Amino acid sequence: MTSASATAPAARLQGISKQFGATLALNDVDFDVGFGEIHAVVGENGAGKSTLIRILSGVHRPDRGQVVVDGDARHFASPQDAIAAGIVTIPQELRLVPALSIAENIALGDLPVHRIGPLALLDRRRMDDDARAILAQLDFVPDVGRPVGDLSFAERQLVAIGRALHRQCRIFILDEPTAALEQHEIERLFAVLARVKARGTAIVYISHELDEVVAIADRCTVLRDGRVVTMSRCGAFSADDLVSAMTGRAHEAVDSAPPVAGAALLATDAAGTHPISLRARETIGLAGLLGSGTDVLLRALFGALRATAPILVRSQPRRLRGPADAIAAGIGFVPGERALGLVLNQSVRDNILLASLDRLRRGVLVDRAAGERLASELMDLLDIRPRRPELPVSALSGGNQQKVILAKWLARRVEVLLLEEPTQGIDVGAKAQIHGLIRDFIHRGGGALIASSDLAELARLCDAVLAVRYGSIVARLERADGLDEPKLRAAIGA
Amino acid sequence: MKRASTISVWRGRLAGQIPLITLIVLCLVTALLTPRFLSPLNLTNILVQSSIMAVIAMGMTFVIVGGGFDLSVGSTAALAGSIAAMVMLEAGIGAGVVAGIAAGAAVGLANGLVIAFLNVNPFITTLGTMVLVRGLVFLITGGAPVSGDTGLPGAFVAFGSARLFGVHLLVWVPAVLLAVLSFVMHLTPYGRRIYATGGGREAAYLSGIPVRRVIASTYIWCGALAGVAGVMLAARLQSGQPTAGEFYELTAIAAVVLGGASLHGGEGTLVKSVIGVFIMIVLGNALNLLNVDSYWQRVAVGAVIIAAAAAERLRSRN
Repeated sequence: MTSASATAPAARLQGISKQFGATLALNDVDFDVGFGEIHAVVGENGAGKSTLIRILSGVHRPDRGQVVVDGDARHFASPQDAIAAGIVTIPQELRLVPALSIAENIALGDLPVHRIGPLALLDRRRMDDDARAILAQLDFVPDVGRPVGDLSFAERQLVAIGRALHRQCRIFILDEPTAALEQHEIERLFAVLARVKARGTAIVYISHELDEVVAIADRCTVLRDGRVVTMSRCGAFSADDLVSAMTGRAHEAVDSAPPVAGAALLATDAAGTHPISLRARETIGLAGLLGSGTDVLLRALFGALRATAPILVRSQPRRLRGPADAIAAGIGFVPGERALGLVLNQSVRDNILLASLDRLRRGVLVDRAAGERLASELMDLLDIRPRRPELPVSALSGGNQQKVILAKWLARRVEVLLLEEPTQGIDVGAKAQIHGLIRDFIHRGGGALIASSDLAELARLCDAVLAVRYGSIVARLERADGLDEPKLRAAIGA
Repeated sequence: MKRASTISVWRGRLAGQIPLITLIVLCLVTALLTPRFLSPLNLTNILVQSSIMAVIAMGMTFVIVGGGFDLSVGSTAALAGSIAAMVMLEAGIGAGVVAGIAAGAAVGLANGLVIAFLNVNPFITTLGTMVLVRGLVFLITGGAPVSGDTGLPGAFVAFGSARLFGVHLLVWVPAVLLAVLSFVMHLTPYGRRIYATGGGREAAYLSGIPVRRVIASTYIWCGALAGVAGVMLAARLQSGQPTAGEFYELTAIAAVVLGGASLHGGEGTLVKSVIGVFIMIVLGNALNLLNVDSYWQRVAVGAVIIAAAAAERLRSRN
C-alpha cells in the first residue's frame, strides 16, 4: 500500500469543531488524507461524518480549527472554492444532467470550442475524444454520445468520477458510493478506485459497509459523538473492531447526555406486580424468549388485540379499541415482521405518509406538495436510500425498509414508539443507524418500548428492562443496577 | 450489462402501457381486416356499448384495488334498471333514477358489510348475492320487462339516444364519472387508503386505517355504479329488463384485469380499467364484423380473460 506519511498530506483538518444549535457535531477533530491514499471514515448516524465531509468540501465553515490543502491553510466560502482547490464530492445523488450525453456531462462547465471569428462553436469531436480518453482510464468504454439518463446508476457513478478527473480534482470525497450498487458493480468500482488512487489522487471514503472499508481503505478513522475514537492503518483493524469502536460501550453515549425521564407517557394498570410504565425520554425493554408473550404485550398497548384492558396514556385512562385510537393517542407500532409495517407494493412516499393522511388534508384533498416535502425531509433525516420517494418500498433493503416504518411514525409525530425486534435481519451499519434514530427520538422527548430477543441490544439501549415469562412480567432490571446480557438471560430463564 | 439495463428500463416503461398498446394494435388490425370498423356508425356503437360496461368496471376497480372481488354487478344492474323503471312509472324520472342507484348502493352495502365485518370470502359472498339479487329481480318484475302500458317517460327514453356535442349522453356519463372518481382515488386521503388497504390490509390496519370501513365502502361504490349502469341500460332498452346484465360481471372483471389491476389488490387505475373495457368491446365488435360464429366468440373472450390473468401473474413474478 502506498504510504502517504512521507509527503505532506493532500488535505488536513486540524482541531476542527463545529456546533449546530445545541449539538456539538464535531469536537476537536484531526483528520488527514494523503495523495494516493484511501482514507475511510465510519461512524454511526450523527457521529459527525457528514459534517466532516461538508467542512472539507466547503459547504460548512468550522467554528474552530483549520483546513489545510496542499500545505496551505484555506478558508472555503463555498463548495466552488473547494472544487477550485481540487476537492470534489461524489455524493449519492450524482448531480449529472440526464438529458445530456456522457461527453457533455464530463465536459460541462468547460466545454471545448473552436472559434471561427466571433463564433464559438462546440468542438464536439474534441469533447467526445476527451471523454473517451478519461473514461478509458477507468476501463469504461461507453458510447459517449448516449444520454446519461439511459445509464445504470453504476455507470453514472463512473461518469461522475470521470468528470472529477476531467476537472483535475486531486481529492475525492465519496459518500456511500456502494449503497445503490450490486456486488459485481461494487467490484468494478473498487477496481476503478484503485486506478484513481494509483494516479495519486487522495480519496476520502464514507461508508456504512464495514467489510468494504476493510477491503479498500489504507487507513480508517472512526467517529463517535463528534470525536475521533480511533484511527488505524490497513491490516490493523477488522470489521468487528470497527463496530465496537463505532458503537462503543453505549451507556457511555447515554451517560454523556443523561436524559432525565419526563412526564409519564404510557402505563398499564398497576394491579400487576410489575406494571409497564414509560415516561418521556425513557427507553424500556421487554425481554423474553420466543413465545413468552412480549409481542402480545406490545400489541395490547397498541389496541391491536380484542378486549384490551384500559391503559393510562399521559396518566389518563384510555380504552384503545383499535390501532386508530392508539395512533390518535400518540402511539406508533413498529411490528417485527416488516410486511406488517409496510404496504409493500406502494411507494416509499405513500408508506411514509400512510398514518398521516388525515393531517395532510387540504379541503377534501391530500396536500400533495406538503406530503412530498414531509416525505423527503424524513428520507433525509433518516438517511433512507436511495433517495427516491417514488420507488416501491419493496425495492429497498431491509434496513431502509425499517427506516421507512420509523419515518411513518415520525411523520405522524407520535410520542411513544412500540418496537418489536427493531433490528432483526438487518446489517450492522443499518442496525447502528436504527439505534441512533431510536436514541434521537428519545432525546427529543419521546418514549420507546422495545421488545427484542437481541439481549445485547436491550442492554445497550434501555434504561430498564422488563423480563417476560409466560405472558407476564416477572422482573424489572434497572440500568442503575447494571444491565448486561448474562443478567438479562438469567432473568428471562434462557 | 449496459444493453440489459437499457432493455429493462424500456421494459418497465412499456409494461405500464401494455393495455393501451394492446388496444391500439387491436384497432389497427381490425381496421385493416374490415373497413367497416372505422365507419362512424360502428365507432359510435363501440362507444355506446363501452359506456355502460365502463361504469360497471369503474366500480369493480374500486373493489379490486381494495383487495376484493364482486360477482354481483350484473344482477345489481338488472335490479337497478327494473326498480328505476317501476318507480319512474309511478313517481317520475328523478325518483326512478335515484331509486335505481340507491338499490344498487344497497346491494353494495350488504356485500360490504358481510365481507368486511363478517369476514366472509368476497367470491362466495358476491356469488350468493349474484344469484339472490337476480331472484329478487324476477320476483318484483314477475319475469316480464317493465315498461308500463305506454312505455317509460319520453324524456328518459330520449336520454338513451340523445347527444351532446355530437356524443351520446350515455357516453358522457362514464366520461364525467371517470374524471370525478379518478380525483377521488388519487387525490383524496380516502382514495390513498383504498390502495393501502388493498396492498397490505394488516399494514394499513396497523397504520390506523379503518380497513373494514374502507373495504365496505368499495362495495358500496361498486353497487351504486352498477346501479347507474342499470339505469343507463334501462334508458337504452326503453324498459327495465329482468334478464339484463348477465355476464357483465365477467366482462367487467376481465376488463379491470386487462387494464393491469392486480387481483391481489393495491394496483390498478380507473383509466386503465376503462381501456380494458374498450379492449373487450372492440374485440367483440371485431369478431362480429368478421362474422365469427357467436359460439366461437365466447371461446375467444374466455381465452382473452385467461390470457390477461396469466399475463398478470407473469408480471407480478417479474
